[in-house]
Amino acid sequence: MSMSDEALRGEVEAWLAAHWKGVPAHSESFGRDPRSEWLAKVRDAGWAVPRWSSEWQGRGLSNDQAKIVERAFAKVGAPGAGQDRSNLWANTALAHATDSFKREIVPQLLAGEVGMCLLYSEPGAGSDLAAVRTRADKVDGGWRVTGQKVWTSGARVADYGMLIARTDWDVPKHRGISFFFLPMKQQGVEVRPLRQITDEAHFNEVFIDNAFIPEENLLGPLNGGWGVLQTALAYERSVMGDGARGPRSGADEPKGDTALLALAREAGRLDDAVVRQDVAQVIAWRVLNKLNTARAKAELAQGTSSPIMSLGKLAMSRILHEEARVRTMLLGPESLLEGPDHPRAEDANFLSLNAYFTSIGGGTDQIQRNIIGERVLSLPKEPEIDRTIPFREVRAG
Amino acid sequence: MTDTLVRPPMSAAALDADDRAALVESVRRLLADRCTEADVRRIMDSESGHDPALWRALADLGVVGLVAPEAAGGAGLGPVELGMVMEEAGAALLPAPLISTALATTLAPDLPGVADGSRIAAVAFAGSHDWTGRSDVRLDGDRLSGTARFVPDAAIADVIVVASDDGVFAVERGDVEVTPLPVFDRTRRMADVAFYGPATRIGDAARVKATRDLGMVALAGEQAGGARRMLEITVAYATDRHQFGRAIGSFQAIKHMAADLLLESESATSAARDAARQLAEDAPTVDAAVALAAFACADAFVRVAKDGVQMHGGIAFTWDHPAHLYLRRARSGAQLFGDSAVWRERYIQALEAQA
Ligand SMILES: Cc1cc2nc3c(=O)[nH]c(=O)nc-3n(C[C@H](O)[C@H](O)[C@H](O)COP(=O)(O)OP(=O)(O)OC[C@H]3O[C@@H](n4cnc5c(N)ncnc54)[C@H](O)[C@@H]3O)c2cc1C
Repeated sequence: MSMSDEALRGEVEAWLAAHWKGVPAHSESFGRDPRSEWLAKVRDAGWAVPRWSSEWQGRGLSNDQAKIVERAFAKVGAPGAGQDRSNLWANTALAHATDSFKREIVPQLLAGEVGMCLLYSEPGAGSDLAAVRTRADKVDGGWRVTGQKVWTSGARVADYGMLIARTDWDVPKHRGISFFFLPMKQQGVEVRPLRQITDEAHFNEVFIDNAFIPEENLLGPLNGGWGVLQTALAYERSVMGDGARGPRSGADEPKGDTALLALAREAGRLDDAVVRQDVAQVIAWRVLNKLNTARAKAELAQGTSSPIMSLGKLAMSRILHEEARVRTMLLGPESLLEGPDHPRAEDANFLSLNAYFTSIGGGTDQIQRNIIGERVLSLPKEPEIDRTIPFREVRAG
Repeated sequence: MTDTLVRPPMSAAALDADDRAALVESVRRLLADRCTEADVRRIMDSESGHDPALWRALADLGVVGLVAPEAAGGAGLGPVELGMVMEEAGAALLPAPLISTALATTLAPDLPGVADGSRIAAVAFAGSHDWTGRSDVRLDGDRLSGTARFVPDAAIADVIVVASDDGVFAVERGDVEVTPLPVFDRTRRMADVAFYGPATRIGDAARVKATRDLGMVALAGEQAGGARRMLEITVAYATDRHQFGRAIGSFQAIKHMAADLLLESESATSAARDAARQLAEDAPTVDAAVALAAFACADAFVRVAKDGVQMHGGIAFTWDHPAHLYLRRARSGAQLFGDSAVWRERYIQALEAQA
């Protein structure tokens, strides 16, 4: 029996009024979530993934009803709702993990009780992920894994990595890959931080030497990992299309779509016609991306597939790079500086570098354009000389 | 059986999703039949640039009086439906005075014959609403003087409506001097209109800005529809055309342009529909939404049309290929009601006012 929208809104608002008392801000998207006590409450009440069935902590709500829940949470600033759209790990596990593993892992993922990382990229396999050479060999009760991963964000604080590894070398490259949840805290998994252009060290090299994966941690069919990866990548890209980390100075920073306008005012530049045009254009791109996403979700809810969904990440790349350019323009020579005494410059410089997180990470802008051209506009693929030959015979380097 | 527009049971707001889809479908069918590329070229090459028979067919469908009140013989629909119809019109490059009629029937619903298509009205914006920056229309007592420049559809109009800061006026065609302009986009005719006599006041100035916004929403829909169709034409060509033994669309230089153009044309569509919705609801942020649609749709259509020509190569440099028709239409729309720089400035002003 489905309840009325009013009753639902009443229930969620009453629940929030009774339980929501605020949680510490959470800026890092890696490792175990410090808000997990709260997130567990949200999960147990069925608000984390309201579109899912009750068997999986959901409430079987329609898209429109789920939005009522999300709006109620957003209104009070409470995190944790709407994970049936945004939680890459839980969605991938729900879609592809074995039942017993799902029962164990999905609740923990929804409460942020486990830290996660993505073990896809390798030194020889970036854009061309199907070229991975990390190997997983069948042993009693599971698999043994050996290989090297790179650019692995959050690996140091991760409990599991979503891993793609080669399980058959005698078939063409897309057909010999399997997808696993690799337990990270074990002998045979060594994580070495890499210093990033932002002078942070979120991403890492991961050396895997004869590490063990239990049988039930295989997602999807053996050698069917490429398909599972497509699910996971789609969630990752859709989240990246919604935005990225904000400025890191923490200095009371204007927020929202029109933050740039406030910054321009603060910088005393709002009387400059060129500045006004650029500020208007960049804000416009942000607003257009939101309108596109809203339209895509509405179209998806009506059951038609939406081509717009795949545009968000590419749009966000341009927004982030251009926002950083305009912030720099507003500052002029002050942008030469950094450090805590110069928070606006620190932010502009950080954002100008971190924009590459979105334009390179999760598939580069060029790869996104290939995907839009081929999957959305149905333009023919490039000839791929290694697509049909056994992976063993593919030239590497 | 001829199609007629589904009449809303109560008010404009009552047209539901199914009725809207039916409306769009009936317009699409009519245009597929009566506004083919050959028709567009025939009308474009004609003296007047206007096809009375096509206009009659549009009137019979209820599209001419789409936003005119029912009491005045219109369909009483709103900006959302107008935007949807204009997306179809833009895709087909329909050369017909739809925007002028929407403006006139909003400014002056009682003007006889306009909502049912038997008379055509052109609208000249004057004073602070003059988007050309080149008009000098003045009101002295009950007499208008001066020239309104670049007035769409003026040469085929029976009546000229002047929308100014002093009010809305109507002047019969015989009482003005109309000089057709040698326009680059022959599917959107314009003329200068010189006034030298008495004018009838038919409305007050309060309506003018909202009406201009309605015209902008209509134009934005036309541009979004035009951009999407031009991209479709281009992608189809890139799929068929082979060079170096492969479809040119398999080359990344082409494929990546197409992907970028999809982002532009879909963003234009989102912006046009959002502005139409906000205008229909008279939302508090409507000024920003209209301004955003104005420059996002104009810029998107120009870019899609321009790059679309490039992606076709030499074939699109020929008169006989439709690409230049879209490019011309994109360029004319990008001036109408003010260019993108003007609307970006209005956008940031609207954002400043919201803050
Ligand atoms: C901040 C950050 C965080 C990251 N986090 C993770 C993570 O957590 N886990 C993980 O697995 N990976 C992660 N990555 C890796 C990321 O996914 C890869 O860097 C990315 O997919 C590109 O691969 P690559 O670096 O090997 O570059 P390459 O694939 O070598 O690309 C180099 C250049 O060639 C272009 N190129 C390559 N192939 C094509 C083609 N077919 N068509 C057109 N151009 C092409 C690319 O666009 C790029 O400009 C992260 C990267 C960054 C920057």
